[in-house]
Amino acid sequence: MGNKQTIFTAQQLDAYQDCTYFTRKEILRLFDRYRDLAPQLVPLDYTNHPDVKLPYELIGSMPELKDNPFRQRIAEVFSEDGEGNMTLDDFLDMFSVLSEMAPRDLKASYAFKIYDFNNDDFICKSDLEKTLNRLTRNELTEDEVRMVCEKVIDEADLDNDGRLSLEDFQHMIVRAPDFLSTFHIRI
Amino acid sequence: KEFVALSTRDRIRAIRDLAMSFEEKKHIRWVLTDKQLKLISFLVRVILRCGYSIRSARQTLELWQGIMKEIGGKFGTSVLSYFLFLKWLLMFNIFSFLINFGFITIPLLVYDPSPNIPPNVSFRGLEILTGAGYFNYTVMYYGGYSNETLIGLVDYNMQLAYFFTIAVYMVLCGIALIFSMASSFKENYVLADTVSNSAWQLLCSWDFSITNERAVRQRKNNLRVQLKVNKTCVTNPLLSVKTKSGEREAETLLVPFVVSLMNLVVPLFYSLFNKFEHYSSLGRQIYALVVRNVLLKMSILAVLCYYWMNVVAEKFSCWESMVGQALYRLVIVDFLFLMLGSFFGEFLSNVIGTRLLPRLGVPEFDVARNVLELIYAQTLAWIGIYFSPLLPAIQILKFFILFYLKKVSLTQNCQPPRRTGRAAQMQTIFIALLFFPFFVGALSIVAYTAWRLTPSEQCGPFRGLNNTFSVVGVWIDDLQEIPASQWVVWIYQNVIRSEIFYFLITLIIIVIIYIFWQVTQGRKQLIGQLRQQIVNVSVLHP
Repeated sequence: MGNKQTIFTAQQLDAYQDCTYFTRKEILRLFDRYRDLAPQLVPLDYTNHPDVKLPYELIGSMPELKDNPFRQRIAEVFSEDGEGNMTLDDFLDMFSVLSEMAPRDLKASYAFKIYDFNNDDFICKSDLEKTLNRLTRNELTEDEVRMVCEKVIDEADLDNDGRLSLEDFQHMIVRAPDFLSTFHIRI
Repeated sequence: KEFVALSTRDRIRAIRDLAMSFEEKKHIRWVLTDKQLKLISFLVRVILRCGYSIRSARQTLELWQGIMKEIGGKFGTSVLSYFLFLKWLLMFNIFSFLINFGFITIPLLVYDPSPNIPPNVSFRGLEILTGAGYFNYTVMYYGGYSNETLIGLVDYNMQLAYFFTIAVYMVLCGIALIFSMASSFKENYVLADTVSNSAWQLLCSWDFSITNERAVRQRKNNLRVQLKVNKTCVTNPLLSVKTKSGEREAETLLVPFVVSLMNLVVPLFYSLFNKFEHYSSLGRQIYALVVRNVLLKMSILAVLCYYWMNVVAEKFSCWESMVGQALYRLVIVDFLFLMLGSFFGEFLSNVIGTRLLPRLGVPEFDVARNVLELIYAQTLAWIGIYFSPLLPAIQILKFFILFYLKKVSLTQNCQPPRRTGRAAQMQTIFIALLFFPFFVGALSIVAYTAWRLTPSEQCGPFRGLNNTFSVVGVWIDDLQEIPASQWVVWIYQNVIRSEIFYFLITLIIIVIIYIFWQVTQGRKQLIGQLRQQIVNVSVLHP
């Protein structure tokens, strides 16, 4: 087993292994990545549950995230305070959901939260417009944006309320087999 | 609420699948574990820890994890799928080598460690390329195996061992391919819907794993262009002109050279045609390329097999070893040409694209062409197993070196793909192609050899028999003496050799397929009705 590390207690590591998809080695490696972002803020001893939050700017500067147009939304969805400042638990949770071992439904519900900019549990037209603008660098005209969003809602909205609920979204994800491999960040 | 039904261990494992914050998950976990009796949670903890350490150990043994991550991050999932495919084929070859070496070669080496080589033949370096000469008399080829029952600790019947090892391996390969193809088809074709094109593109096509900034910009540009372009299709399918490989020279290396040259040059022409033709979608373009390449490779293999089965089998004395050598040469020369192909395809294109003709730009990694080359290489190995049981070892080396070669070539010379393709569906098509026609073709060739052709008189484990299958007949006759194994004899005579059995089985399978088809039709109707109900309900309760 090799209990040579002193960062976490055995119970803490068990809790992390139960609540994420990572192995012990990966958890320790992720801790190192977390600590590398701000060595002066993150202590080397987590046995007494220190309350450390890394600001969003540090998280967003990670090489895995810095080019992702949704990095701010991702950080906001996974952080406790909703602002993007992440504790180690949030950090592990985020990469666990984005890893290749997370099931499709879990990823779909988090993807839904990420695309839901106004946090109202529905992806409405304004959310879609914001998504489209982020994906295409604001270079489509307003008419084109509106047309595409209308088409998306037409195709995916099952219960005809003009916006996408989680069920609509999951129904569409089932028909997109590439989703599992694209909604995936390797770390 | 669902937790009550599961066991504690499953409950703990199910925590991970919840879409809740970490704090909530930890709270649920605390509720589940600390409130149990201490003994039960201790046992559960031990079992869970065992499972985790097994998973950890398996991860350290995983081949090439770091490299795969790097490739996926820089080039995206479609390029990564090529390397995953390569790794998967490598596993086939490792398995094949292990069972061939273990069940066929090792007993022979234990029994008779010194190969009976004629006195005037020594090892020159040329054997590595041609496979003839010194290798001809070793256990590398069919001819090096004896047909006796080896007396040792146990009586080891070499004939049966050879036959059954190869048969079992082919059957297992076939089963693995069928399962893999069926599950891939179910996930990527049946559930997927080609109708919701725009919604799919928008919400699911962003590849989160890409970390290269330039790739990200390209993806964004591409998405923008795709959403803007309206579909005017000008399909101009150019008929391809296939040339047949008809060289039948005595120079042994010439045939593989020509074959590999054609395999290298003609697909480049196809890619060139691609630039001049207009296709309505990226999918159609790739399909056209794939179909042309598949037809080319199949026709080459068909001609070669015809030559081996009809001419070589009549002319030479130890013809299986000759065919084994020919396949060995094909594999080696194919490998050399794959390296050349990397050079021309990727390195030279890069040089031309950046220095000489900047309009062409940096080349992309052509996943389709490379996967087809892998499938062709694996088909050669599958045909060759019967004639040269240790050919998988060469294949393992080849794939190993190829992996690193392609990885270096990719990172140095290529840029990430500009157009997002449907990687999952392409994966299904490649597996389906691997199975049918290539695996089925290889299996047919081996089966035809075993059934119709007379094994050579002087060498190999089946010498003196009329055909290879009669080994089983001889064995059954021997078994009839032993009263304890009468059931094997009964199965052979009444099940395997009787036509009524196959007729009945076919009938039953057809009926089952029909029933499943009707069930599928019924379910489609049900889905349509349920969809309508959702709309109706939401109209009533807005």
